[in-house]
Amino acid sequence: MREKVIYVLGACAAILLTRNLYSIFMQLPDEASQGMIYRIIFFHVPAAMTAMLAAGVALVASVLFLITRKFQYDALAVSVTEVGLAFLAANLVTGSIWARIIWGIWWTWDARLTSALVCWLLYAGYLMLRHAIEEPTQRASVAAVFNIFAFADVPIVIFSIKWWRTQHPQPVFWGGGSIEPAMYLTAGLNLVALVMLGVILTLIRLRQEQTQREIDSLRRYAHAVA
Amino acid sequence: MDTRNFTYMFYGFLAAWLILVVYVVMLVARERSIKKELARLKDMVEGQERAR
Amino acid sequence: MTTTATTREVSPGSSGHSAVRPRGVAGSARQALVIAAKDLRAELRTKEAINASLAFAVVILLLFSFAFDEDLLRKMSGGLLWIVFAFAGTLVLNRSFARELPNDCLDALIAAPISAPALFLGKALGNFLLVMAVELVSLPVYGIFYNVRWTTQFWPLMGVLALGTWGLTVIGTVFSALTVNIRLREVMLPLLVYPMMIPGLMAAMKLTTELVAGQPLEGDVLIWLKLLIGFDVIFTALSVALVETVLVG
Repeated sequence: MREKVIYVLGACAAILLTRNLYSIFMQLPDEASQGMIYRIIFFHVPAAMTAMLAAGVALVASVLFLITRKFQYDALAVSVTEVGLAFLAANLVTGSIWARIIWGIWWTWDARLTSALVCWLLYAGYLMLRHAIEEPTQRASVAAVFNIFAFADVPIVIFSIKWWRTQHPQPVFWGGGSIEPAMYLTAGLNLVALVMLGVILTLIRLRQEQTQREIDSLRRYAHAVA
Repeated sequence: MDTRNFTYMFYGFLAAWLILVVYVVMLVARERSIKKELARLKDMVEGQERAR
Repeated sequence: MTTTATTREVSPGSSGHSAVRPRGVAGSARQALVIAAKDLRAELRTKEAINASLAFAVVILLLFSFAFDEDLLRKMSGGLLWIVFAFAGTLVLNRSFARELPNDCLDALIAAPISAPALFLGKALGNFLLVMAVELVSLPVYGIFYNVRWTTQFWPLMGVLALGTWGLTVIGTVFSALTVNIRLREVMLPLLVYPMMIPGLMAAMKLTTELVAGQPLEGDVLIWLKLLIGFDVIFTALSVALVETVLVG
């Protein structure tokens, strides 16, 4: 069943991405001053939104684990955090490359970039914390608490460009600016495609967590019987 | 089409997808080692069952 | 010493033995103060952490004075001071719950009829006072080494120091509880605390730079003060809410 979901989602995502690539390169008009580089926005922004969505799901999963103590929530939390980390890394790197072109610098310490990097460090710290604890129950509850703390940075990342004057530009798609409708559509569809990709990766990772728990219980059984 | 900065845009797209591909490769590697460990443990348990 | 307390039944269901389970906020506050006093007394008798922390702070101040030239140092006074405070503070915070590990003291504390938030706030208060002490000694040292008159905005500076230190202490204490039982605790604690601290630390640094330079806090800079206060409130609330889960598991 899960296999079928993965394949169907994969097919949909592939179709959307192909359509978007066509749209990005063939149909959309050029931006006034940047040349081709601005087209990276169609991955830069959706990747960020996917990462923030992943952080939100991780928060809910962590809270649910603390309330119900069911390990599938812990498995969901770690899977979705890993996937979110990958998308956030893609966001940071594409942003940095874009910045090198239009601002001439690879990095700057304004509120948006700093908080995004801190977000990445926090969730990477979450994964490191999990590696440092061997006992599964303790690992799950400690990690869940840390995840809740880590989420405190996410609103700062999202609203930083509204609250502070930043090097990073003001909201493009939410700013009510003069963006062509075709661009909105492509960006939205790319977001859907990336979220689908994220779901697929999370499902795969979830299955690995399940298998890992099987291994752990089998190992305990094997040593108990031996 | 305005092709200024084409190279860097290409690098940008490449970087984004490379990161995702690297993550998928990590997942696949972990899947393989997990499957191997599971098979090994199953053999071990079966061996013990037969020995008893 | 009276032994009557030990002959009474100490069970969760027993009704209102006020000597065993103090009621209300005042009771919790008293419990927290008892814990804080215990920690401070233990620390001040051996002075291990506080000596190490002070020595570390002075050494870093010394190193930075070689590393950069005077003008630059003046401009980054806030950043420099808070890096010193954060690093030196971690030495104190690391020991906060780790000190309870030998002889199962941590288990005894968790089992004691004291609420987890009261325990946490007590420890946080103790740590806060210790780290503040290190900071208050570091400041004159800083003034002497770097030839900086930092006393012009003395009380605002003390206020910012207190707010920033409380943020550092709250996060450090709750993460000390989080990491008390894990491998490589001494490495994991700074690794987890520093990213979490960054919004509060940045605010404290900006405010401190202004104040050390003698500028009063007004205008644009006030947003950092709001951020610091918000940061403290949010993380104190989060910590108090989650510390029970962290300790009991």
